[in-house]
Amino acid sequence: MRDAFSNTLVKLAQADKNLLLLTGDHGYALFDEFRKKCPDQYINAGIAEQNMVGMAAGLARIGFRPFVYGLSAFIPIRTVEQIKLDIAHDNLPVVLLGDGAGFVYSHLGTSHQSTEDIACMRATPGIEILSPADRFEMIASMEYAYAARCPVYLRMGKADRGDVHSNIIAQFSSGHLLQIHEGKNDRPGLIATGSMVRTALTLGHNHNLSVWSAPSLKPLDINSVCTAAQICNGLITLEEHSIFGGLGAAVAEITSQHYPVKVLRIGVEDRFSEHCGTYEYLLQEHGIDLNTISEKIIKFYPKIEASL
Amino acid sequence: MTGSTVHIGCAFSIIELLAVLYREYLRYPDNNPRAVDRDYLILSKGHGVMAQYACMYELGWLTDKDINNYFKNGSQLKGLSDSRTPGLEVTSGSLGHGFSIGVGIAMGLLRQNSDQKVYAIVGDGELNEGPIWEGALISSHHKLNNLMLIVDKNGFQAMGETDDVLALGDLSKKFISFGFDTLEVDGHNEIEVSSAIRHLWARKNEKPKALIAKTIKGKGVPFMESDNRWHYTRLDTNTFADAIRALGLTGAK
Repeated sequence: MRDAFSNTLVKLAQADKNLLLLTGDHGYALFDEFRKKCPDQYINAGIAEQNMVGMAAGLARIGFRPFVYGLSAFIPIRTVEQIKLDIAHDNLPVVLLGDGAGFVYSHLGTSHQSTEDIACMRATPGIEILSPADRFEMIASMEYAYAARCPVYLRMGKADRGDVHSNIIAQFSSGHLLQIHEGKNDRPGLIATGSMVRTALTLGHNHNLSVWSAPSLKPLDINSVCTAAQICNGLITLEEHSIFGGLGAAVAEITSQHYPVKVLRIGVEDRFSEHCGTYEYLLQEHGIDLNTISEKIIKFYPKIEASL
Repeated sequence: MTGSTVHIGCAFSIIELLAVLYREYLRYPDNNPRAVDRDYLILSKGHGVMAQYACMYELGWLTDKDINNYFKNGSQLKGLSDSRTPGLEVTSGSLGHGFSIGVGIAMGLLRQNSDQKVYAIVGDGELNEGPIWEGALISSHHKLNNLMLIVDKNGFQAMGETDDVLALGDLSKKFISFGFDTLEVDGHNEIEVSSAIRHLWARKNEKPKALIAKTIKGKGVPFMESDNRWHYTRLDTNTFADAIRALGLTGAK
């Protein structure tokens, strides 16, 4: 998935000399190829994310296409106000790339973990949110972000969980859910985003549940969510993000108004990480590992316990 | 003047600076505030926007109706700078934003080999904000010699004197050490201001420029000068009349 990110970025930059990559001294080998092939389009803005986002706004105002890269704990979280005032308010075509979302930096603790970024960007007017799950969604997301010509936040979570699609996504459109597994209609459907799509797919295969990936979270398409709600017997959302303000909240907002169904939101509860550990360990600590999610689903949908 | 928190003291400290810039330096082809090849004036200290409204009125960019509706329902002229008003480049007032945007514009203009210039006015109180110093570091690192930072050094911020709140020390030395070509002037002496700006641009080097303008908050109205209550306080009917008399104006309402 990271190769897909890097390769697509190089491809877009080679086609448009006004595309500039700004990084807050992050990225390491991820940008080796970019620096080799587009050295004049690479700006290390130093460990100064607030200024970097403001600078990106300035560059975008006079015709450049800034892609601003940082850890999602910083881009967008540390720079929410710059994104709001300097970029979103003026509808500038800046693509914000937040890497390591969720618990990717599990060993490093709360400063580098990011479970509130979707919520902050959802509440910021005028910015779209992308959250790809695999390399195919990443390619489509990057190309969409470049073409959108509006502020976009692209969230990159755990990137080595394998593909959930089998091929290039031909028709990627804003807010649409992508169905990746068809289950039985008398059971709840799973809608997941980013790293959790892989988990959802495993649950879907194991228990005959329909599964949708949500690579585009804002705006989230009402018809797409209602279609899933109509097909299934309730909905379950999965995200490596707070249950407040993220995918689950967006789905619940839509269904409550347009097609009321039971929605179980599975994600990070209202708490910070307590311990150090591997990525898998942190998922367990927060109750979003495969086994704990299965238990939560059974508890919420006791009628389907037998089938699960 | 109706409405509260009009930041009148903040506006009066920069009016001569703005007058010199608009009259002598800023290029707005066809008098168009959104001309693609304009110079950029970024009021990072958005609290002083009332002074800029006055300049924009003189330029014909704002009408009598615009000015008379200031602070009223439906007015485009907000209490702090807003980029949706033609003539205002950035949305500021939340401090420490405008300069970074100016750095980005200046960096982009150099990449485009443009001769357009960027001016960013920050308050000395605004220098409490970290992004200003982040922007200062990178603007000298990238040799942005088309960028001029103008510090409105009136010695006050919302809750008191800058020396008491968060002392700035020797600002000129600070900006010189950050790699800026720096001059200090009396910010109310238009001849001195103009001369300093001309000198800074005339020096052929690769440094960003810093103009430290010593100013007086509330300048021009004796009962307001250096009285920090006028950061927030509005004029009532009597004080408005007194201010108009002190400014030597007549006929204003």
